[in-house]
Amino acid sequence: MNTRMCWIAGAALALGLSVGPVATAAPAAPAASKPAKAPARAAKPARGATRAGRLPFDTEGAPIYLVGAEVRTGDGRRIAGAVIELRGTRIAAVGTLAATTIPAGAKTIDLTGKVITPGIVAVDSALGLVEIDAEGSTKDDSVAIADPIRAAYDASSAINADSALLPVNAIEGVTSAAVTPKGGLVSGQVAWIDLVHGDTRTIVADDEVAMRVNLGQTVAGSRAATWLRLQELFADAEFYRTHRAAYDRAQSRDLSAHRLDLEALAPYVAGQAPLVIGADRITDLRLLVALAKGGAKVVALGGTQAWRIADELAAAKIPVVVQPSQNLPESMDEMGARLDNAALLAAAGVEVGIAVFGDAHNPRNVTQEAGLAISYGLDPELALAAITAVPARAYGMDAHYGTIAPGKVANLVVWDGDPFELSQRPRAVWIRGRAIPMRSRQTELRDRYLPRIRGER
Amino acid sequence: MTAAGVIYERGDVLLRGDRIADVAASIDAPKGARVVDVAGKTITPGIIDTHSHIGVYAAPGFSAHSDGNEMTSPTTAHVRAQDAYWPQDPQIDHARAGGVTTMQILPGSANLIGGRSVTVKTYVGARGIDEARFVGAPEGLKMACGENPKRAYGDKGGPGTRMGNVAGFRGAFIKAQEYQRSLERYREKLARHEAKGDKSKGDKSDDDGKSDGPPDPPARDLAMETLAAVLRGEILVHNHCYRADEMLGMLALGREFGFAIRSFHHAVEAYKIAPELAKAGTAASVWADWWGFKAEAFDGIRENAAMLSVAGARAIIHSDSGIGIQHLNQEASKAMWAGRRAGLEVADDEALRWITANPAWALGVDDRVGTLEAGKQADLVVWDGDPFSVYSKAAQVFIEGELVYDRSDAARRPQTDFELGYDNGRTGAR
Repeated sequence: MNTRMCWIAGAALALGLSVGPVATAAPAAPAASKPAKAPARAAKPARGATRAGRLPFDTEGAPIYLVGAEVRTGDGRRIAGAVIELRGTRIAAVGTLAATTIPAGAKTIDLTGKVITPGIVAVDSALGLVEIDAEGSTKDDSVAIADPIRAAYDASSAINADSALLPVNAIEGVTSAAVTPKGGLVSGQVAWIDLVHGDTRTIVADDEVAMRVNLGQTVAGSRAATWLRLQELFADAEFYRTHRAAYDRAQSRDLSAHRLDLEALAPYVAGQAPLVIGADRITDLRLLVALAKGGAKVVALGGTQAWRIADELAAAKIPVVVQPSQNLPESMDEMGARLDNAALLAAAGVEVGIAVFGDAHNPRNVTQEAGLAISYGLDPELALAAITAVPARAYGMDAHYGTIAPGKVANLVVWDGDPFELSQRPRAVWIRGRAIPMRSRQTELRDRYLPRIRGER
Repeated sequence: MTAAGVIYERGDVLLRGDRIADVAASIDAPKGARVVDVAGKTITPGIIDTHSHIGVYAAPGFSAHSDGNEMTSPTTAHVRAQDAYWPQDPQIDHARAGGVTTMQILPGSANLIGGRSVTVKTYVGARGIDEARFVGAPEGLKMACGENPKRAYGDKGGPGTRMGNVAGFRGAFIKAQEYQRSLERYREKLARHEAKGDKSKGDKSDDDGKSDGPPDPPARDLAMETLAAVLRGEILVHNHCYRADEMLGMLALGREFGFAIRSFHHAVEAYKIAPELAKAGTAASVWADWWGFKAEAFDGIRENAAMLSVAGARAIIHSDSGIGIQHLNQEASKAMWAGRRAGLEVADDEALRWITANPAWALGVDDRVGTLEAGKQADLVVWDGDPFSVYSKAAQVFIEGELVYDRSDAARRPQTDFELGYDNGRTGAR
């Protein structure tokens, strides 16, 4: 199911966004959004060939106008009676009906009375890596090795675009996912996908967008040992970066990890791309603050006790992604878990994301999670941002994703009403500028058995 | 919302002692009655969960708290969840704050026959099972089909296949039948002995002329006592079973041995056999949308409960989760709306029955709880809005007429002992 999108290596991005040559700066992000990432990647020329054309750049073809809906942009704005102009895979323009001139004969879709939000981003997801959790043969979300350092593991090479889980979640509004390996101290690198089912060639929009790390008792059953190992690793990654020639001549001191892992870590140690770190206890969250103060870009995942040091996290500019429903003390690290964590963090100025952690089957329930957060005090606009703009920003993908704005990838969800309410499911979902079929393995199962229920056979 | 077919847009509920005395659009308060104005709020029966491991898999998930699976043999009909229920599990407080008043605590699903369940209420301050149990509720028997037993015992002498699973069930119930017969033989002998004794006092020899005392009862066997009680219909069968083919097989197995399966649990494929479940009178306890975590859960769909309802079967939304149990109203809502979107007619009252009246029936307590009707125990929830909205919360919870939870009153947000001394920044469960 390849689409009409075309993938033009080296093409300049339209809409005023500048872009480097794809072969060396693969994500083709506007230079401002990931300024230092390209050089780090340029050091890996071997990857250039496989990375070419990953992000959808196509802005060609006839425009499509989505007309009349209330647009909630994902960054706090609501535009009543809006017009969204789509070109190719991207949003070309967003404005009011009054301020927009729609060319005669242009394709328009009347969405009066509907609500349009940005596509939802599934954070810390196993979409495309897991089909059935209990069946190892269907899973690629972790590496079965004892070494807790798996930095070079790149989820993008394992993603299954044919997964039946993709449409199940896509038709409920999940349009992108930060696909994340799990396990060990450093689990591996996160890939950004759009939920284009069956598009085996281009499902990965960008790879190596973030590095997944776990704190807690990950190494030798000890928190302190875990932290020590991480520091040693980062120091060795920096040493490797600056002494690579000597290393290649075997004139280096011993390093504590495989060269591929040390190489993979370089941009993250340098603060060019985010470390996304699972941490619940204050003890661990404070280590994240230390990492951020040392120059790393840090995102906290979990954050059960984050509300207790919300000011420190806000000052360190660490976004915290929470799963609001998780209010039980499942472990001693999660004492004080509470449903209003998101609201408390937001009140302190922390950028809050919301996720269904580590899941592949029901990331779609993130709207319910966000609804819960609202019922416990989170502002609804912040709740929408928490599943759209914040994840995009936290993972360094905000040049392309997360809001409804010119130049962004056209991932849009059309609702009858309140996106968080349990009665609501999307009326339509657009991914990369195309309305997807509102069909999944689950709707097919349902439709196969419905006639029997109705007594029709 | 009565869960008994009537929804009053504006209604009154009269409680007297521990019972509901009246439910109507308008009731004149008897003299001396305390009137609680809950205008703008919604009253439902207390929420009932057929499937919980709270207390036997307590939080935090310490190895020391792992008391749900007696994983020493695939058939452990002799064990009882009531002997492991820890009334200080903080999950109890959160369940109550979510409107749950009754829950069945089951052994886990590692074993073919996991043991007896216990039905409890979320009373405040229980120190032992006798202060927690639902007085008069029948016990249940946990049975488990499919992947879990064969995964747990495949390397430990079996069962290692679904063939082995079913052979294990049949073997156990064949023994139970024999035990039941030995009980009956004993009773016959005893009756004969007593009859003889009445006729000729002093003549103490029995038919064989050897012994002069009453017959010896069969040796007590706790496992067989459990299974024999199932055969007599005194203990209700709760069967963890995902796949349609296995559920049909278990219904046949029940017919073979003459027992009914009260409810299947985790019945993700129940929609495929909804008419058969309706005919068998077996309820299906299902999740709204959990699916895919193992092969036998791969065909789960959100319309499951609605399809069961429309086919005339008893649908139940259960939790199997300390998180899910706090939001069973929301889980029911998702399932209800999925059904409606598929064109199935599911009334609000019917969806409410998935978490009240139907689980009450599955637990054998529907004559006492599960609806707002005169004579029922006064277990009810006052919601701060539409219980099917993601934004609604239980404002107040009553058990047997007593206010056990009040969201607006720190003194009425009880907490178990465990969380004392830790900073959770709040007072009581919310």
